Amino acid sequence: MPTPAIRTEGLTKRYGSTVALDALDLTVEPGEVYGYLGPNGAGKTTTIRLLLGLHRATSGRAELFGRDSWSDAVGAHRRVAYVAGEPTLWPGLTGAETLAYLGNLHGSTDTGYRDELVERFRLDAPKKVRALSKGNRQKVQLVAALATRADLLILDEPTTGLDPLMEQVFREAVLEAKQRGQTVFLSSHILSEVEALCDRVGILREGRLVDQGTLAELRHLSAHTLEVTFAGARPRIPELAGIHASVVDDATMQFEVTGGLTELLAELSRHDVASLTSRLPSLEEIFLHHYDGAGGAPGA
Amino acid sequence: MKATAAIFRRVIGDGKVATASFALVFAAMGFANAVGYRRTYPTARERLELARTFGLNKAVQLFYGRPHNLLTVGGYAAWRLAGFGSILASTWAVFAVVRALRAEEDHGRQELVLAHPVSRRRVYGASVAAVGVAAAVLWLVAALALVAARLPVGGSAYLALATVSPAAVFAGVAAVASQIGATRRAALQLSLAMLALAYLLRVIADIAGGAGAVRWATPLGWVEELRPFARPDPAPLLLLGLVATALLASATAILARRDIGNGLLPARDTAAPRLGLLRTPVGEAVRAERGSVAAWAIGIGTFAVTVGVLSTAFSKANISTALEHELRKLGGASIVTPAGALGFYFVFFVLLLSLFACSQVASARREESDQRLELLLALPVGRARWLGGRVVLGSLATAALAVLAGALAWVGAAIEHAGVGLPRLIGAGANTLPAALCFFGLGLLAFGLVPRASVGIAYGLVVGAFLLQLFGALVGAPHWVLDLSPFSHVAAVPGAPFRAGSAAAMVAIGLAATGLAFVSFARRDLFGN
Repeated sequence: MPTPAIRTEGLTKRYGSTVALDALDLTVEPGEVYGYLGPNGAGKTTTIRLLLGLHRATSGRAELFGRDSWSDAVGAHRRVAYVAGEPTLWPGLTGAETLAYLGNLHGSTDTGYRDELVERFRLDAPKKVRALSKGNRQKVQLVAALATRADLLILDEPTTGLDPLMEQVFREAVLEAKQRGQTVFLSSHILSEVEALCDRVGILREGRLVDQGTLAELRHLSAHTLEVTFAGARPRIPELAGIHASVVDDATMQFEVTGGLTELLAELSRHDVASLTSRLPSLEEIFLHHYDGAGGAPGA
Repeated sequence: MKATAAIFRRVIGDGKVATASFALVFAAMGFANAVGYRRTYPTARERLELARTFGLNKAVQLFYGRPHNLLTVGGYAAWRLAGFGSILASTWAVFAVVRALRAEEDHGRQELVLAHPVSRRRVYGASVAAVGVAAAVLWLVAALALVAARLPVGGSAYLALATVSPAAVFAGVAAVASQIGATRRAALQLSLAMLALAYLLRVIADIAGGAGAVRWATPLGWVEELRPFARPDPAPLLLLGLVATALLASATAILARRDIGNGLLPARDTAAPRLGLLRTPVGEAVRAERGSVAAWAIGIGTFAVTVGVLSTAFSKANISTALEHELRKLGGASIVTPAGALGFYFVFFVLLLSLFACSQVASARREESDQRLELLLALPVGRARWLGGRVVLGSLATAALAVLAGALAWVGAAIEHAGVGLPRLIGAGANTLPAALCFFGLGLLAFGLVPRASVGIAYGLVVGAFLLQLFGALVGAPHWVLDLSPFSHVAAVPGAPFRAGSAAAMVAIGLAATGLAFVSFARRDLFGN
């Protein structure tokens, strides 16, 4: 087993009486792209601040590549690049100067790749940061982080403020990083982005990791929808275990399947089926499932 | 109406700490000067001697302007409070207005406000009105302090008005500057430059022979012409009001025409990269701070040359025994010799350098509160390395300014053939360092322990200790209280011998506090605003 890129054990953070993160156990293997999902205020940024040793855990511990996040922060950060959710940079520096500064501090920057990224993200490098829009400041941070080719990229809602074209460029860059074997920890509430990029997903709610797994694994736990239109009037279908039937119109029924499909298919084969569509739950449905009925509103 | 009230309350809230601090300073100055005068100069003979000597001293007029009546408690308080307080009130107004107008825009918050169904004119009006109300609080507190010192109510109210009134003009100046400059910094620089010019004109009017007419060219001179507790003439108030109204109106006129987020002067938004200082956090800090350090150097340098020139202004013939005694309490040496006078003046450099050290604490804290520090510490940059860079930078810059003060005071003294050599004055500059570094260490410790309050604590310690030194003896505070202030442990070099023990103790306290600052900073969370 290689050393995990990220490992936390019982990682807990309290601010006064508020529990921001509650006993998080998380492991991200090298080369993985891990999507960290949750609405605003679920504890995503707190997790990242603890992973980076910016805030001190109330209890538990976190490691990056086997190095303690708090006591060996500098050592851990040599293999990490970070993109903050709120891109507050140095207002008096230009984009190019910011890239140079962050590159110098990191110590290793692939300048060829950096220049390529500046082109691809269409960065206005001679412009001072204070004159850049939020999306453009975000691009500066992204280029700086990606150009380090760090083993672990920790990205906190990295596409906030990016236009769809730039979001596409970002996705390509993350996939390139993945192909190079880099690990990516992507905190986000943009479900399509996570669905497109991530190997594994963790869902955070009110400081607790409520679900975790590959998309396929998460889907197993949720319903899978079958919509059937019959030729002629819809027949009477008996109740089956693990199947929830509902009527759509005179000829159409919908089945939410949480168990096996065999019995339902056997039953359907006795009738004249005109069309059948099967749909796997989207990440959005899985996500909403975890927030439904628990009072937690899903993140916008 | 609701929107106007909301904006009004926000501006009051944003400025309340600054307003409360200045109110406290005005109260202390008003009360202590009145009470102290009554104690130190109880008889008419002593008061006459004071007026004939100290009152005519040009060096003293540099700070307080020209006195009109030093024979009564009110007249003396008027000279000491209005002369210096008017500069303080103007400075306060500049910061308050730039904070309410340009800083809000610079941060992009004003756009958010203006997106609501509320006009620019109304936002502007509510912001300026809030600063006006805060100014009225300053006036009221100053007046009450004077009444508490047993001065008549009417005269006290008028004196307090004279002290606070130039704030109206400089609020206008800052309002116009906030339309011209696109950043908070640009607006502040422009306004403070105007204030410096106004002060310079007052100095010329007061000190240069036959230049009295120049007084009418500066709002700080109009204040002198108000003459509280002497021959009061409220006519200049009209002038102050007219100019303030004209400035505030022109600011509205510009505001109605320009783009929000920009100033009349376009900000330079693109630049060729200069990468020299971007290798380390401390390099970046040097780059970011050099403008402000240069401004401090110009201010301290100008003051140093001036006090050098004025070092020969006191003599046995032009100073009363009672006053010499009073000033001895401040500095510990007789000020009738050039070296003694310089020793007295250098107490003010202790103050200035300590305030500069506080500005370095504030700069470090700003890096944290703007969340730029998160980015740095997420890189392979350790906390100790970052803070260490700040400590070294702050200490070296303070030391450089101290040496500069000594060297330029020597230049001024040499012009007047004061006969105090360069090494002695460099020594006098260096002698200010232990206290400044002590305050720097305490400010850093506050940064380590209570980051959100640290900037206020750092400045508060310096100002509080200085006020204690300035007025504590005057109102007869016990020795152990006076000894709490580091200022009381600074020898009046070059007039008095260097006190190695005190200096070492202050450096030791500074170092210990700095050490604790490293420990506490290493253990805490980072805090935004």
